[in-house]
Amino acid sequence: MSTQSSFLPRFFNGTALTALVILWLVPTLGLFVSSIRDKDQLAASGWWTSFNESKQVTFARTDLPETQQQIDGQFVLSGQLTADDGTVFTNVLAFGSSSRDPEEVPAGETATLKNGAQLTVNSDGSYTYVQDKEITGSRGKRIFFAYGQPPRFTLENYDNVLDKGKIGQAFLNTLAVTIPATVIPVLIAAFAAYAFSWMQFAGREWLFAVVIGLLVVPLQTSLVPLLRLYSDLGQMFGFESKGYPGVWMAHTGFGLPLAIYLMRNYMKSLPGDLIESARVDGASHFQVFTRIILPLSLPALASFTIFQFLWVWNDLLVALVFLGQGEDQIVLTAQLRALLGTRGSNWEVLTSGAFISIILPLLVFFALQRFFVRGLVAGSVKG
Amino acid sequence: MTLRKTLSVAIALATLSGTAAAEGLKFDKADNRFSWDSLSKFEKMDLNGKTIRFDGPWIDGDEANLRTVIAYFEEATGATVEYNGSNDFEQLVLVDMKAGNPPNLAAWPQPGTVSELASQGNLVALSDSVEQAVATNYAAGQSWVDLGTYKGADGKEAMFGLPYNVNLKSLVWYVPENFEEMGYEIPQSMEELIALSDQIVKDGGTPWCIGMESGGATGWVGTDWMEDLMLRTQPPSVYDQWVSNEMPFNDPKVIEVMNTFGQFVLNDDYVDGSSSAVASIFFGDSPKGLFDTPPKCYMHRQASFIPAFFPDQYKETIGTDSDFFYFPSYESKDLGNPVLGGGTLITMMKDSPESQVFMDYLTSPIAHELWMAGQGFLTPHKGAKLEAYSSDTLRKQGEIFLNATTFRFDASDLMPGAIGAGAFWTGMVDFTSGKSAEEVTTDIQKAWDAIK
Repeated sequence: MSTQSSFLPRFFNGTALTALVILWLVPTLGLFVSSIRDKDQLAASGWWTSFNESKQVTFARTDLPETQQQIDGQFVLSGQLTADDGTVFTNVLAFGSSSRDPEEVPAGETATLKNGAQLTVNSDGSYTYVQDKEITGSRGKRIFFAYGQPPRFTLENYDNVLDKGKIGQAFLNTLAVTIPATVIPVLIAAFAAYAFSWMQFAGREWLFAVVIGLLVVPLQTSLVPLLRLYSDLGQMFGFESKGYPGVWMAHTGFGLPLAIYLMRNYMKSLPGDLIESARVDGASHFQVFTRIILPLSLPALASFTIFQFLWVWNDLLVALVFLGQGEDQIVLTAQLRALLGTRGSNWEVLTSGAFISIILPLLVFFALQRFFVRGLVAGSVKG
Repeated sequence: MTLRKTLSVAIALATLSGTAAAEGLKFDKADNRFSWDSLSKFEKMDLNGKTIRFDGPWIDGDEANLRTVIAYFEEATGATVEYNGSNDFEQLVLVDMKAGNPPNLAAWPQPGTVSELASQGNLVALSDSVEQAVATNYAAGQSWVDLGTYKGADGKEAMFGLPYNVNLKSLVWYVPENFEEMGYEIPQSMEELIALSDQIVKDGGTPWCIGMESGGATGWVGTDWMEDLMLRTQPPSVYDQWVSNEMPFNDPKVIEVMNTFGQFVLNDDYVDGSSSAVASIFFGDSPKGLFDTPPKCYMHRQASFIPAFFPDQYKETIGTDSDFFYFPSYESKDLGNPVLGGGTLITMMKDSPESQVFMDYLTSPIAHELWMAGQGFLTPHKGAKLEAYSSDTLRKQGEIFLNATTFRFDASDLMPGAIGAGAFWTGMVDFTSGKSAEEVTTDIQKAWDAIK
């Protein structure tokens, strides 16, 4: 074959891969940009508009009427356009005489207001408000104007999430759920997978079929029966039905079918001669498992660990059902939801919350990723 | 090893029992905005070591306020109240209940659910002392008792829900300076309100911001409009018949009310972003149009909680930067000043002596005042001091409650879940997207027939 024909597929592969990566990254990027934007702007415009200078229309108040000066028989208020939070507007494009038409007059010119007052706003944001009679009112007059707003980013959303103080505790709670709920199924599944692949016992195939069948049971259907079981047992033996052990068991149960299936397929693909000769040399099943199978199955173990870890970390439903919502039990996902407020008014915290909750899964993924692909195709191709 | 360390932390956390330490007692007992004497009854009780499980929909800021109410109870009696708040609280409580492990107390925003639970025998009837307290201490007490009274599993009527933390729906929000600028006056009657809307259109503006999107609950904003208009065009008895379906949903009276709502929402000149957009605008974003330059709209009809969705700088300045007026009634119809509200009913799902005491506590003035001093709480409790409200705005709203000639609870919350939290909501979406009132109401009635 010539080199040309192998270049084309490679080129297409490359392009397709790049396109997919971009497709996947754009939403994440958008979420990230959103998370560092001001919440009111977030509600008003899309994240892709945030890199350019944008025209904003708003109003600011003059100084209080009591600071007016009398010059040549006229009453004058002058100063600098400033927002309530102290931001100074220095790039005024146009202003108007009423809220209806905030871009009526270009900056630097003078407009006559409805009440006869003369208003001048310069592009640097300085203004003069001149009137024949005394300026009255308890608040500053509103000046409506348009200005160019440079791109502005803030860490406020992150502050809001972290500031509430409960995130740290929720982070620990999630760890307390996730680590045992990952370790326990991995342990059990490794034993089970070995038994299914290399031990002879009656009904092995049937039992394995049942495990595979369990893969398709939606976990939602088993929530209530399981919780009832816990609650009955709890009443019998006097423990609280909602708690960490319960949620560990639940995650273990929900994770096991896939774990056993994945690992059994991987272990089955290991060379049988190796195990047989070890058996002939007098190794017990346990020795074969710990000395030979376990070290060889590391990729499968690691890939399932990642799967299970991510699934439990991101889980909301199981934790909501099997754990209380108190401060010592609430998990990260539930806590982020709680930050939304009773009627969901603080939805902008989700943008930064997503990135805070993603930190640990990212670390885990990068730490174990070299096993990931190997484990993912585990058992799918017989080598 | 770090893993082992984290594990041991995990296990230590797992074995931690009990709840977090009680939040601070925010108010000094010398503060005479509060009726501290109503707390003394509970100080004599000793409930040390007793725990009350309480589930409710309040989270975040609301939860903090509730925890203040709880903290004083815990301090007085020694009991522990384990409050669990969640957005999914309704589902979670039902799951817990089916698993045989319900909380002692639960707060329901929808009386329709309370009625269902009561008839299934899942609720404990409240004590006579609670019923007495509501009947005598709440303004229009009997109507509040009725609100919490449902048929139990034995077919006998009893009070199952204590109304606590109510909100006011019949409010129109506006920006006073925008009104001043254009020379608009606050309308005193529905006729004036419609005239004002027309005037705003004539001046080149848009009178209303309406947004109905709310995830799975999209449409509830429309049902609130309907209910308010129903109370303003029909006597309260018709409203009650409508709620109980004695009067079919597709009765001409209901169709007329829906068409009245149509005068507002289906008029492209009246609503910001045209009527077809109403169903896709998030209800929490729609009031922001009031504060835009130029104003996207001049008025927004929404319940008392809506300032939580205002842009940050306007959240705390109600009364100056924004204000509200009562959604007026028709001058031509002599129906008084009806008030529409919503709120939560606190029910007992698992009886215990300490839960009974806590229910009694919730009827005492102090349990209301402590939350009035926070945010987002109104009460018809006559014994609670108006001074306790944290702002004039809340006080003004509280007074609307105390002075109402007719009070009616949110109809969609009273109807069975399949209607009030289903067909009625989706019907309002259909209506704004062009289906006729006749069709919509007939569809809703069909859905209602199906569950009978």
